[in-house]
Amino acid sequence: MPETVIKAEGLTKIYKSAENDLTVLDNVSFEAIQGTSLAIIGPSGSGKTTLLGLCAGLDIPTAGIISLMGFKLNVMDEDDRAYIRNQYVGFVFQNFQLLPTLTALENVMVPLELRGERNVAPKAKDLLVRVGLGARFSHYPSQLSGGEQQRVAMARAFITSPRILFADEPTGNLDGESAAQITNLLFGMNREEKTTLILVTHNLELAKKTERILQMKDGKLVNEQIHSPA
Amino acid sequence: MIEYVIKLKREVRSIFKDRWVWMMAWRDGRHNFSRLFLFVASLITGIAAVVAIGSLNYAMQGELDKNAKELLGADLVINSNKPFDKGFIRKLDTAKRELAKDAEMASMVMFLNTKQSRLIKLTALEGEFPFYGKIVTQPANAYELMKKGNYALLDESLARQYEVSSDDTIKLGTRNFIVAGVVEKFPGGGALTATLAPAVYISMSALDSTGLVQFGSRISYSLFVKTTSEKQTENAINLIKPLVEDLGYSYDTVEGRKRDLGEGFQSVYRFFSLLAFVALILGCIGVASSVHIYAREKRDEVAVLRCVGSSGWQAFNIYFIQIFILGVVGSIIGAALGVGIQQLIPFVFGDYLPVEIQLGVSWRAFGEGIFIGALVSVLFSILPLVAVRFVPPLAVLRADFTSPKIVSKTKWMAITLIVLFPILAASYQTRSFISGGLFSLGLALALGSLALVAIGLLFLVRRFFPQNSSFIFRHALSNLFRPNNQTQVLLVTIGLGAFIISTLNIIQSSLLNQVEFRGNKNQSNTILFDIQSNQKDDVVSLIKKHNLPVNQVVPIVTCRLSGINGFTVEQLLESDSVKIRPWALTREYRVTYRDSLHISEELLEGEMHSYKKGSTDSVGVTISEGMQETLKVKVGDTLVFDIQGVPIKTFLSGIRKVEWPKDPPNFIFVFPKGVLENAPQIWVAATRIDNPPGAIQFQQELVFKFPNVSLIDLQLILSTVDELFTKVGLVVRFLALFSIVTGLVVLAGAVMNSKFARIKENVLLRTLGARTNQIMKITLIEYGYVGIFSAITGLVLSLGGGWLLTKFFFEVQFSINLIELSIISVGVVLLTVLIGWWNSREVISTPPLQVLRKEG
Ligand SMILES: Nc1ncnc2c1ncn2[C@@H]1O[C@H](COP(=O)(O)OP(=O)(O)OP(=O)(O)O)[C@@H](O)[C@H]1O
Ligand SMILES: [Mg+2]
Repeated sequence: MPETVIKAEGLTKIYKSAENDLTVLDNVSFEAIQGTSLAIIGPSGSGKTTLLGLCAGLDIPTAGIISLMGFKLNVMDEDDRAYIRNQYVGFVFQNFQLLPTLTALENVMVPLELRGERNVAPKAKDLLVRVGLGARFSHYPSQLSGGEQQRVAMARAFITSPRILFADEPTGNLDGESAAQITNLLFGMNREEKTTLILVTHNLELAKKTERILQMKDGKLVNEQIHSPA
Repeated sequence: MIEYVIKLKREVRSIFKDRWVWMMAWRDGRHNFSRLFLFVASLITGIAAVVAIGSLNYAMQGELDKNAKELLGADLVINSNKPFDKGFIRKLDTAKRELAKDAEMASMVMFLNTKQSRLIKLTALEGEFPFYGKIVTQPANAYELMKKGNYALLDESLARQYEVSSDDTIKLGTRNFIVAGVVEKFPGGGALTATLAPAVYISMSALDSTGLVQFGSRISYSLFVKTTSEKQTENAINLIKPLVEDLGYSYDTVEGRKRDLGEGFQSVYRFFSLLAFVALILGCIGVASSVHIYAREKRDEVAVLRCVGSSGWQAFNIYFIQIFILGVVGSIIGAALGVGIQQLIPFVFGDYLPVEIQLGVSWRAFGEGIFIGALVSVLFSILPLVAVRFVPPLAVLRADFTSPKIVSKTKWMAITLIVLFPILAASYQTRSFISGGLFSLGLALALGSLALVAIGLLFLVRRFFPQNSSFIFRHALSNLFRPNNQTQVLLVTIGLGAFIISTLNIIQSSLLNQVEFRGNKNQSNTILFDIQSNQKDDVVSLIKKHNLPVNQVVPIVTCRLSGINGFTVEQLLESDSVKIRPWALTREYRVTYRDSLHISEELLEGEMHSYKKGSTDSVGVTISEGMQETLKVKVGDTLVFDIQGVPIKTFLSGIRKVEWPKDPPNFIFVFPKGVLENAPQIWVAATRIDNPPGAIQFQQELVFKFPNVSLIDLQLILSTVDELFTKVGLVVRFLALFSIVTGLVVLAGAVMNSKFARIKENVLLRTLGARTNQIMKITLIEYGYVGIFSAITGLVLSLGGGWLLTKFFFEVQFSINLIELSIISVGVVLLTVLIGWWNSREVISTPPLQVLRKEG
């Protein structure tokens, strides 16, 4: 029986300002099944990042329900959501978001250490080796190229063996070859570890590698394609 | 149901059990220590000041306690301004008590080797004084020699100044003495009294033969009593108490002297505490502003941490641990520095302390410093750090995402504590809630006004932004408004320093202006007093013979008040309804008589009464403005004077405004002519001596012919006062400098913290074609603006503050020295530019590529 890991029902996000209310997400509903991959595409400003943020519990919707692994995120407080993220979620961002004061290795260890686990270095080193950075453990983010930084970020995302991985334009800042490396890692992970992959992108080629594509426009889901990944 | 499960699973670890936050604090901190430099530096300076002052205070108190008896030299001292009653002495003189005496008076001394003379305090000693402590002389046996009668001792400073050494001869009155040696230390006497009134010591047995004791000479006599026990001292006090009042004596005990000295020291200590307190608060400002910058910088990192699952408190704890540990380290360094500074204080100001301070570490002050430091680092960092708790994780997705302002309980508690802290700290420092409250209020007012001026200035700059000036100037100016730039804090802290220095300068020039004799050519600068009636004409002709002006020859009659408006002084003293200060009622008044106003006077009310000889009118006297307020009398009130035993009934005919320093002597009470001519009196003559050689000659002849007449050289006093002021000013300047340094530390921190933003901006400018020297100019001009605005802020306020202080506190005419104020302002600007430039070297010289790499 396939497990539903994300369930969004009637998600609506409205930004209120002095002049007018801006409806950025309008009644969006969808579900994602454990181990599948899903891409969200759409023109700039259509609300993709907003939707991702809501699904990951980085923000709360104005209306609607979002549940992750069965937990209703919209009724929890921020620290509980943080806990849920730590337990089930991994992130990869367009601009890497490594901690500049920590070495590559320390960056990777953070999520596990945060759980209070000890002796996490071997596991983190393993992962860094897997992403091809075996020789860069003690380098700081500022000493790494963009592609390398993103691979550290991938290692950090994978170290908790997350049930869901959110990626917002993970290759947006990278050249072709680095992008390909990252893409391979993402989908490899999706297959091997049965991690659910939620991918936001402008890149149709990339989107086509997923099993499902949700297309957004003006804050609404306008189309959904299901296909076998290319 | 689901939420319930979650709450159970998620354990909230306290800061002590959460290994992760400690680890993160270290990992993150090891590269950030330089960023927290400003924080540590602020703390170190503030704590150093507090500890230095605190430990000086403890050392002083300890010393006072230990050596209390030596301060007095006896168990009990009785004072009188006439020779002691024989019967009184006989009563005291028993086997259980030992007695010693001294008599002090002003007199001229002439150094026969150089024929120079000056006014000194003549001290005649009898008996085995001091009973406690020692008169330290050079050579050691000089005091014993002096007791023989033919010898005199000189205060060290006096001997040095006039180059007198042992075996030289000096003349006191009509008699010559051989100098036995110099006095290095005299019980209860500090170098301060020696500077203001240097003393010459002789044996009591020799006093009469000097011919100095004449009618009208003011002599104060003391009787020193040594007892065998506390109990005996008490007995002696009980014995003399009833007699003392009748005979017009007063007495002083060890406890009393200790209290007086302690109080005197306390007020000095309070003043210093104020300085330390200002330093501490400046430190707190530094702490708060540096942590604020730090927390802002950490925003993005916190967002990432929150994304991977850290709770708000965990993120807070990471930075809190860093700040706290650094805070404790900084406090320890600061406390150590403070103890170090305290060791130096006796070297610089030792002359002005009543007791000798032993070098030693006050662990209590040290501990207090560390405690206060830890407290400050917690208190003043919580508010800026709390913001970390509420960094929204969404910030990882949108860099400029700002969360709505959150008001938490922690924040309010922190604000309350921060408001309370200065009041409590100041109260603790001064050991008084009232002073503490006033301190805080004063500082809040000063800082508030500075902030207002700074905000106003920045507002005006924005409002009237010079759109048409050249690019460089415009760009530098708009840099002041860059977020995170701390421009306001900079203006306030550097401005405070400028404010303190220039206010001090204004007060100093106002005061000096007041006593300066330069401007008014004909004012007297030399006063001759203790002239006997029969010497008057001869003294006047001596003055004339030396071609000196005779500005004033005035008679002086000493008298006391015996009644006001029908009440006797005794009744007034006991009355609860009329609150006149006792000293004003019981003191001795030196009055003169004349029918016209002196040039330093102005009639405020009533008239100068002329008394017709033999008429039955009562006598109309005038009073000076200040004393009129003290005595609470008005025109028409009746006053009875006791003139050497003869009561004279008068009424108040007028009130005079007197400019005391102008052409002295000036008087509180002036009688009309025709009343006091036959009363016993002495004369004072005033002249002006402009060329020093002439002065020496005149003094020689005066001392030679009229040994009992003393001469005050006002110029000498003025220079002594000026010297004193310079020393006090030194301390205040030090504080002001400290304030500026704090400001500059904040400046350095702000520059350091905004380094990356600045580098990025400069690289952008470079890509757009700016040359290195243009970027350099922009940077320098920016700091120039900061300096100029700070100086203006401080100056505007100090003109206001100085005006208020001179008008209401010192009651002198407001006067400024434009040149000195300009020098101060330019100094502040230059210093600011220098520090700004020094910290910006990297910003200016970083090549663009390095920046692009960091971009990710
Ligand atoms: N805090 C906010 N206040 C007001 N409007 C906002 C806020 N955050 C986002 N928006 C608006 O919401 C809309 C959707 O933004 P979102 O970032 O989700 O778009 P996107 O599809 O991710 O675009 P892109 O492809 O450019 O990343 C935009 O029009 C944006 O201006
Ligand atoms: Mg987006």
